Amino acid sequence: MAEYRGMQLQVAPNDLENQGYFEAARRHRLAMKACNACNRLRWEPGPGCPWCQSLTWHWQEVSGRGTIYSYQVVCQAIQTGFREWAPYPIVLVELDEQRGEPTADEALRVVMNLVDVSFAAEKQENVAIGKRVEVTFIDLDDFTLPQWRLAAEQPVSGLWQFPL
Amino acid sequence: MSDMRDRYCIVGVGETPYTRNSGCTTRQLAVTALKHAMDDAGLGPDGIDGMLSYHGGDSTTSPAVSSDLGLRLNFYMDCSGGGSSTEALIGIARGVIEGGMCHTVAIFRAMNGYSEVRIGGTGARARATPRESQLLRMPYGWMSAGQNFAFTFMRHMMEYGTTSAQLAAVKVAGSKHASNNPKAFYKQRVTVDDVLASRWITKPLHLLDCCVETDNATCIIVTSAERARDLRQRPTHILGVVGRVSKPRADMHYVHGPITRVAGYYAAPMIFKMADVTHDDIDVTGCYDAFTFTTMLQMEEYGFCKKGEGGPFVASGALELGSKRPNNTSGGHLCEAYTHGMNLVIENVRQLRWQADDYCPNGEHTYDYSEGHCRQVREPKIAMNMAWANPATGSALIMRRG
Repeated sequence: MAEYRGMQLQVAPNDLENQGYFEAARRHRLAMKACNACNRLRWEPGPGCPWCQSLTWHWQEVSGRGTIYSYQVVCQAIQTGFREWAPYPIVLVELDEQRGEPTADEALRVVMNLVDVSFAAEKQENVAIGKRVEVTFIDLDDFTLPQWRLAAEQPVSGLWQFPL
Repeated sequence: MSDMRDRYCIVGVGETPYTRNSGCTTRQLAVTALKHAMDDAGLGPDGIDGMLSYHGGDSTTSPAVSSDLGLRLNFYMDCSGGGSSTEALIGIARGVIEGGMCHTVAIFRAMNGYSEVRIGGTGARARATPRESQLLRMPYGWMSAGQNFAFTFMRHMMEYGTTSAQLAAVKVAGSKHASNNPKAFYKQRVTVDDVLASRWITKPLHLLDCCVETDNATCIIVTSAERARDLRQRPTHILGVVGRVSKPRADMHYVHGPITRVAGYYAAPMIFKMADVTHDDIDVTGCYDAFTFTTMLQMEEYGFCKKGEGGPFVASGALELGSKRPNNTSGGHLCEAYTHGMNLVIENVRQLRWQADDYCPNGEHTYDYSEGHCRQVREPKIAMNMAWANPATGSALIMRRG
């Protein structure tokens, strides 16, 4: 159990969808569910394989690197614990693994905030579609929250930014 | 599939006033809307034996509402659901009547969407402790409808060059229509600049890109074409309905396919084939406007403009009364009220009766769409609703004047 922005964070004992994910985060690793039958990764982590319907899986660590596919900047927070944090970016990131699989428009797209080195909300002028990111981890009392931060890498293609 | 085209009708519609302080329970709201719909149809308690409702854990139940007005039901279900449930339940009503389970169904949605459970997500819902998949959302300050859809909206702007000013035209059209609607919560006309000057909620959404939050109940009564003949109103015939058509991986719509593709992509071929009409046959539309973007995206997917051209299409003024594609002639969710979709169907029923309630003298429509006058489309015969739950899920309905 950990307190974060007014919320109690913990994974229930029977929540097998998320348990391995947050256990990996505690070790500062990003993990996806991988199907035991077809080996495809899936996100969000569910109990069945959307590609081959197998019900068995294992957790597989991934590189934790990816590219911003879309984003938003929340200016009016819904949750009171986020009010002082706004404006804060939420980014939709395509992982490097399994891009364009199993069909061209599919990918593992993982949503987190974009934070800076001190875990403050990244400034909106630094957020753009196409920027490279890597996972980072906020260690709380008994819970670790994965987040994205900008990577020191050049973007593969052109950047696009919502007008500031 | 048996051809149910034309064999079922909407025969009664009703609603409560649209407010932000109903001062009463959702039960009282629902009973009021049901009574208004029964009076509209000319039906007493013996005339209705089925009931459907949808809710998000924020509303009353069919047993309470039916008992309050002395109805004895042969069928009811209170379903979990939000936007795009209205059309889905109209489809279910048609099916259960066809199956002989009942003969007439009242469908309602009752919500204190401002004073109790705010639809925008603030209040009780924002204070919940995250469980299961909420652990992947709430710790990131990511939970409201606008926040959930924003990645789709932003990506559309990137891929197609869609601009905030283009989207604002959806709100402008809605506000013009609402200014001629005595029931509308927001009757004030706004400009593109007003939308752009309104405060940011989550970029790319301004406050005025988002629908209003209101307290209200709405009700629609469905029965067979045979029964409809003997009732008070000219019936509105259901030509086709598809309910909660979904993208693959609907649990997380942005992992599959182009994220700017929304459920209408899948629903469009089904509904046009079922109703056996073309776009040119449709005289008035109700296109779900939880946000300005949702109307634009669905107009594209249902083929009223090309994919990617939704921005210029809505900016052209095409959605305004007197233009080629009058849409949400009540002001819709952006201006009339947020009802989770039912007011958009009610409006089209009234349009097809040629009885839109506006400021025309003596019930004679003037077709003067300037402020404070008419909002009746000129003698429409076919109407379409395109409804949105989220980018992954939607419904559609095509109706004709009886």
